[in-house]
Amino acid sequence: MTNTTHTREKDLVRYFIIIYWSLFWLLNVADKIIGGAHLLFVGRDRFAQVERFFDSIGLENPVFANIALVITAGLEIFALVFFVGALYYHLTKNRESTRSWFLVGVGFSLATFTFFSIGDQVFGDHFELLEHGLFWFIALLSWVVFTGLDRIPLPNQVGVTAKQRNAFLAATIVSALVITASIFYHNHTSFVERTQAVAVEQITEDTYKIQFPFLAGSTAFENSLEKFLSENPTLHIDNIYTAPKPLRLGKSDGLIIYIQTVSKQ
Amino acid sequence: MKESKLIQYLILIHWLFFAGTTALDKLIPDVYPLWVGADFYTLFVKLFASLGIKDPIFATIALAGVSIVEIVAFTSFLLALVLLIRKNTKSAEQWFSRGILTSLILFSLFSIGDQVFGDRFTLLEHGIFWCILLISWVVFLYIGNTESNNVNLAPSTSLRLTVIAGVVLTVITSISIFSFSSSTWDTKNTPVSGAEITNGMYKFDFPFLGDKETLESTLKAFKTEHPELKVNYIYTGPSELNTKKKTHMLLYVFTEKIKP
Repeated sequence: MTNTTHTREKDLVRYFIIIYWSLFWLLNVADKIIGGAHLLFVGRDRFAQVERFFDSIGLENPVFANIALVITAGLEIFALVFFVGALYYHLTKNRESTRSWFLVGVGFSLATFTFFSIGDQVFGDHFELLEHGLFWFIALLSWVVFTGLDRIPLPNQVGVTAKQRNAFLAATIVSALVITASIFYHNHTSFVERTQAVAVEQITEDTYKIQFPFLAGSTAFENSLEKFLSENPTLHIDNIYTAPKPLRLGKSDGLIIYIQTVSKQ
Repeated sequence: MKESKLIQYLILIHWLFFAGTTALDKLIPDVYPLWVGADFYTLFVKLFASLGIKDPIFATIALAGVSIVEIVAFTSFLLALVLLIRKNTKSAEQWFSRGILTSLILFSLFSIGDQVFGDRFTLLEHGIFWCILLISWVVFLYIGNTESNNVNLAPSTSLRLTVIAGVVLTVITSISIFSFSSSTWDTKNTPVSGAEITNGMYKFDFPFLGDKETLESTLKAFKTEHPELKVNYIYTGPSELNTKKKTHMLLYVFTEKIKP
């Protein structure tokens, strides 16, 4: 293979990197513009999250959360526009400008994640600190790969034999058919579990157990209790105990509740 | 400005704030106005107690030791930043390396502790930070010692257009943020209305802004609306029942009619 082909491959990797970061920030900005859960977009209620953070440090007035969100959105938007600029210059084959615009995009990304990390320490959220630390690292690594690609020796392609191609196609098609059939069958038999009332098992004279399937949501829970109460009109629910995770079998048990009842008489 | 300098500044500033806020978290050990942080003292006392070492002096010594290492890392990064600003690059690299080495030692100690105390999630967290530190150090030194391009954002018309687009988008997003904030802020203090699921069982779907005060006002409003009912039991819907991320908290209230 010629060097030109390798240049094309390396350019393709650069497209992936720029497009990834452009979409990353575009969706983050969209999440802030949309706000709240809507049809076809749930996103994250950042206002509620940030307001609760500020409330926890004694700043209940929503203006603090709003200002923090505006600063965050500004950093994200500038990262986005510079990545879009890098994409434009990459499309027009202006390598020097692509590199500079991409760098400024990465710079805004790194600054954004540093800003988030400071907030995570102040608000004491170490899970978010890990998340933002990882994204900071990914942004830095993206820059290293983007600029260092020219120094990576890509292997020459050796072509595909007819035997390899046929074996690949046969294995892929058979596996895809089996898995797709299995998924559709599971949907056909199990989707009803999402809302269907679950059978109640009596454990002691006044204690009952309901073991929910993984698909069950709040409607299944409500339907189950409604069915239980209609089948047992002489009882009323005194207490519901949720089996804690240590009592469940690893990942094989879903939600389990125990209903403690008393007789209405 | 050289590309390498920009990246070096961004790396250094990140670790400076990281070490600085971590050390500050030890200086402010509890929840105060403008600072929540993590309660490391409680964490250390509980971890040592789980080993059978109940005397708080051991946890205190360990925490003080950790804080000293963090302060050494912070001052090393601070010095490195000052030297980098003064264009004394070689010394800056040396102090940055010292800060990184100190931080690596700290995360290695944390990882040993995590194994001893059996905390696998924190082990993962410290392992990841250890790796990020190491790679940051490699990148910092590598880009500082290789040929580097100047940041070139020419032509200026493109840059001007990009900045205008950025400002316009920021204004649009800010309007949206303020409008969303003013339209949802009321839900924080407004009682949630309940829906009767079955005879005597009510469901309350709390908004994301809802907190303990929302719960209390909801219960008060419910009692006022239903003077004929007695609340027998309140059940918090476990997370398994929530539609992923869409629901904040579900609350079920079980009632019965007050007997005359």
